Formats: sequence, structure tokens, C-alpha cells
Amino acid sequence: MTTVSGATPKLRAPAGRVTARDELVDVVRAVSGGLLFGAPLLYTMEVWWTGTHTDPGQMAALLALLCVPVFVLNKTGGFRVSRDVRVLDAATDTIEAVAIGIVVTAGVLMMVREITSDTPLAVALGKVLYESIPFCLGIGVARHFLQGDRDGADDDSHNRTDGPQASKSAAPKALHPTMADLGATAIGALFISLSIAPTDEVPLITSTMSPAWLLVVAGASLAATYTIVFVAGFSGQSDRHRHEGAFQSPATETIAAYLVALLMAAALLWMFQRGIEPWSDLLSRVIVLGFPAAIGGAAGRLAL
Amino acid sequence: MTAPKKRSTAEWTTLLLSSAVLLMVMALIGVQMREPRTPAAPVATATATRHVGSYFHVDVTLNNEGDQTAANVQVTAELVVGGETRSSDQTVDFLAGSERVDLIFVFKEDPAGGELSVTVSGFAAP
Repeated sequence: MTTVSGATPKLRAPAGRVTARDELVDVVRAVSGGLLFGAPLLYTMEVWWTGTHTDPGQMAALLALLCVPVFVLNKTGGFRVSRDVRVLDAATDTIEAVAIGIVVTAGVLMMVREITSDTPLAVALGKVLYESIPFCLGIGVARHFLQGDRDGADDDSHNRTDGPQASKSAAPKALHPTMADLGATAIGALFISLSIAPTDEVPLITSTMSPAWLLVVAGASLAATYTIVFVAGFSGQSDRHRHEGAFQSPATETIAAYLVALLMAAALLWMFQRGIEPWSDLLSRVIVLGFPAAIGGAAGRLAL
Repeated sequence: MTAPKKRSTAEWTTLLLSSAVLLMVMALIGVQMREPRTPAAPVATATATRHVGSYFHVDVTLNNEGDQTAANVQVTAELVVGGETRSSDQTVDFLAGSERVDLIFVFKEDPAGGELSVTVSGFAAP
């Protein structure tokens, strides 16, 4: 197997043997791509309602139709480090992408209490299938979404450690890396959560959550942002492992970036007059909005 | 053309688990398709009354006994005390088949001292 020295990402030769770790990183990249693409639609109650009254025939058609764009995306992009060329590879990756999208969507819907043990099976299926559409498309573009240089070169060209990648990593060095990261986090968080903050979904989701469940949401936000930035193998990951600065170790950077995402969530709730007293309710809404904000912040750190 | 790639155990594991997930989802959809879908039938039932401060809270369970979804389900609670009728309405946006929603109606008078009725006054097919 061909690898690039350094922490991550690992690159494989097209015909190389895929280890369990390689496969896990591919799956994590798929989950991360799905979260980056699908998070905003998760906070849209109209999608929940559509899932509530979808008949099984329409669900089956939706599942079949969803496989078409995901297959096309897997032929051109996908979530693996090597591009699918053969139809069979793209087809198996489509099965995996749709399955991963369904599982992750179900998990996130359970986290925001839209699916509970009281939810009828048909309703849960409808909600998961509709919400999984952007997740699966995000998985389909995971590699191109944030990996590789902006000229379209990919890992197969084996030039990630020089050329455009090097010039890309050189630019942030001109700035203070900590401020650049925190600024990128704030912009990314703003980008994703700006369209969610003024909606009724945030107080609606918050009303279903106990303090313990809010801790679960906070933990999931931290885990998702850490995974996207430091595990999934998106662009600049190895640079980020090498960064030096006040908040540049993975754990501290993740926590600092999450706090920035929470601050952005609080600021947006205040701006749209959606923050309410007592402080415990406001904190709950900030944590709920903080989930997509943290995902947006992770994308911002990778993309900007 | 690339040489055919031999799948590793890890890749086979992911593919098998993913296939199992998709097959399970398709099986669940298939089961739903085979089952007869009865029309929506929302039913409201008062389950308990609690004295909270100077008000009385009436717990109502709204249950859709049909399989199809009901939209804009209007639930009306009427309390007749001393010849006077107090009424209160609530609307539930969507009530899926077999779904249950808990509602609370608030009255100033004690329902135990009068006649309470809770009914579904109408709904729409989404």
C-alpha cells in the first residue's frame, strides 16, 4: 500500500489492499460529508411532516430514485480516496452510501428527538428516508466536497503534498493560525446556522430535550466536528495535525471552535430575537443550534 | 481501464452490513405496503384531571386508530357547569397512523363538578 508520511490522510494505490483502518476512515469521511450537506435540512419541520404522511409505495420509489444521483456521484466523486471507475464499484459504493446515509440520519433524528420509541414505524421510515436525501448526496460528493485541490486534481494524482496543496497551506501561515481558525469557524458556523436560527424548529426541538439529552447533543457536536476536521481525511487535515499555536492541538482546537460555534449560535438567536429568558432556555436553544453551527464551523476551518 | 480490484475483508464487511441495512429498510417498506391501510380515525379521550394553582388541567390523549395520517386535527373540550358551557380548542398539525399525542386543556372550573366532553371536531386528509 502506498501512503504519504505524516499523520493523515493515507493514500492508497488504486490496486492497493484496503485495511480495516482505511475502510473506517472512508466510512467516517462518508458520515462527515453527509453531515456537512444534510445538517440544515434536519432542522426543517416541513420535511418531518412530509415523512409523516408518505405512503409506502412513495417511500420505495424515493429509495430507488435516490440511488440514481448517488450512483452518478460515486462514478465521478464518491467518498473513497480512489475514484470509482468500474460500474460495479460505483454500484457497491452506492449501496454503502445510501445505507450509511440512512443509519446516520436515523441517529441524528433520534438525537433531536424527532424519532423516539413512541414514533410509529411508518412515520420513522418516512422521516428517515426524506431526511437522508441530502445526507446521501453529501456522501456522494464527500471526496470532491472538501478534498483535493481547487483545480480538480484528486488523490490518484498523488500530488497532495506539493503544488497547490503546499501553496494552500502556505497562505494561512501568513496569518496568525489561531485567529484564522477561529475566524473561519465563525464564518462557517454563520453560513450553516443563519438559515436555521430564525425558524421555529430550534425552540420546537429544544422543548423536547432534558438537560441530560442536551449533554448528548453537545457531545455529538464535539465528536462530529473533531471527526470532520481530524479524522475524515478532508483537505488540509495533515496540515492541521502539524499546526502550532495556542489552540492548535486537535482536542483544544475542537473545544475552542465549539465555543465559537456556540457564540455564533447565541448571537444569531439574539439577532433574530429568538433568545428567551430564563437563561436555561436560552442555553438549551444555543446548544441545539450549536450542532449545525459546529458542523458549519468545521467546514469553515477546512474550506477557508 | 483499471485492473479489477480485489476487495479486502474490511470492504466486504462494510458492503455486507450496508446491504443488510438496505434490505431491512426495503423489507420494512414491503411490510407496510402489504398491510391494509385503514382511513385516519383520530379519537380523543380525557385521562386525568389535576388541580394546578387556581386552574384545573385536563389530560387528553389523542390517538389515531387508523393507518392513514390526519392533518389539522381539531380537538374540542367542552365543560358544562351550572348550565354554562366553557369550551376550548386545540389543533394538531399532523397525526400519523397509530400515533399518539398528549394534550392538556385548562379550565377555571372543576370538571368533577360538571359534565366534560372531549371530541375530535374535524380533520383533513393531507
